[in-house]
Amino acid sequence: MKTFSESNFPGRLIAVEGLDGSGKSTQIYLLKRWLELEGLKVYFSEWNSSELVKAATSKGKKRELLTPTTFSLIHATDFADRYERHLVPLLRAGYLVLCDRYVFTAFARDVVRGCPPEWVRGLYDFAALPDLTFFFKADLEVSLQRILDGRPQLKYFEAGMDLRLSTDPYESFRIFQGRMIEQYLAMSTEFNFLVIDANQLVEKQQALIRELVAQKLDLEKFRRADRPRPRGGSSATRTGSALSRALKVEETVE
Amino acid sequence: MRRPAQNHIVVPRRTPRRFYGHGIPKVELERLAGRLIVVEGADGSGRSTQIAMLVEWLEGCGHATTQVGLKRSTLVSEELARAQQGNILSRTTLSLFYATDFADQLENIILPALKAGFVVLADRYIYTLMVRDMVRGMDEAWLKNLYGIALEPDAVFYLNVDPEELVQRSFAKNAALDYWESGMDLGLSRDMFDSFMQYQILMEKAFRRLQVTYGFTIVDGMRSAEEINQELRKKIGAVLAGK
Repeated sequence: MKTFSESNFPGRLIAVEGLDGSGKSTQIYLLKRWLELEGLKVYFSEWNSSELVKAATSKGKKRELLTPTTFSLIHATDFADRYERHLVPLLRAGYLVLCDRYVFTAFARDVVRGCPPEWVRGLYDFAALPDLTFFFKADLEVSLQRILDGRPQLKYFEAGMDLRLSTDPYESFRIFQGRMIEQYLAMSTEFNFLVIDANQLVEKQQALIRELVAQKLDLEKFRRADRPRPRGGSSATRTGSALSRALKVEETVE
Repeated sequence: MRRPAQNHIVVPRRTPRRFYGHGIPKVELERLAGRLIVVEGADGSGRSTQIAMLVEWLEGCGHATTQVGLKRSTLVSEELARAQQGNILSRTTLSLFYATDFADQLENIILPALKAGFVVLADRYIYTLMVRDMVRGMDEAWLKNLYGIALEPDAVFYLNVDPEELVQRSFAKNAALDYWESGMDLGLSRDMFDSFMQYQILMEKAFRRLQVTYGFTIVDGMRSAEEINQELRKKIGAVLAGK
């Protein structure tokens, strides 16, 4: 598998991965806001969000019809729909595409559910790899607490209840998410994950992410035609200023 | 139809089973006592007629049967039909959607029925799905991995009917050609009739390519329904006897 840059796409794809409750959605949202405000061409896509497939997925989840194999296939269908109709055309048009979860979610989750790893990887081998992947590494208890703060109960599949690990949803969630972390960490080197300490404050994480993005991508290339680069030295699309901005945030944090 | 006396019920012999690839996790193959019989062929090739006749015969012989087919899963059949109406899915998506439909039926109908010792009659199986994708340029290795979940059937019959005859049958039934069965999405020709003929020839070629790997029986579908059924019964009889 190659990245979009290695496949000669003019666009670049940034993905975030991590456990539920690791704060990755907040971080990618803030990254998106920054890039948009800088006047860049940005598109955001979320795991399991294709309109067409969503109805079937939610029916399957609600009625607990899904087995590990169909769970895997229906998510692959959702991914393929977004990939072929949105991601690829936008990346061809030179967009910065931000993905809340990418193929690694399937690589980790489906394997924990018992699908053969080679089969799952084979399913997704039509897709190019992200140019940058941020992995949010949080303590289990922190993730669990974040999810519970947002809503009173854990969801059935989120807690891995279908795996019959434990009859107690909290215990099941701990075991399930623990196995997910193992899978993610095992992939970390192979897929060049940029590991972010998700136990840190939101601002601190975001500063680091912005710094890395500005360092690794030539952001000027993604400027919208109707949003010319501002005059003067304030554009954060240049590495130096992004760095100083990042550092400034850090100062206010501490 | 000649029916054997009750005391001549053939108890199917166990034969080794396998998945084509990785298969479905945690399935105990040796517990699948039933038989899986697949009938493949284009629309209008007589699949449903043959299956209906086989059910009569099998039940008469004392075998419990169950039937599966494409786009019949509880999980995604409605959504799949809706998506197809608008022709808005791109090829990988459609392919995976069909695979989901297949997997749902495999796990919830086919495998439990085989475990219970039923004869499962499948009105099309993974081959139609693979062939459709192959003529649309999908990677064969990718398809083989995807359908590595499938159980190898005990017998696969491909009803071969000339495209000219398929057209006649389709008109006799509906006075129209189906958009997908004419391969209109491929842009082979704007003329639906031309497209249908070209598409059916492509499909048959792809089936013959798969036949080399999957070794199914090509049945001459140009004969009378009764003649064809006799051939199928003879071959299925041998399968049940474990030959």
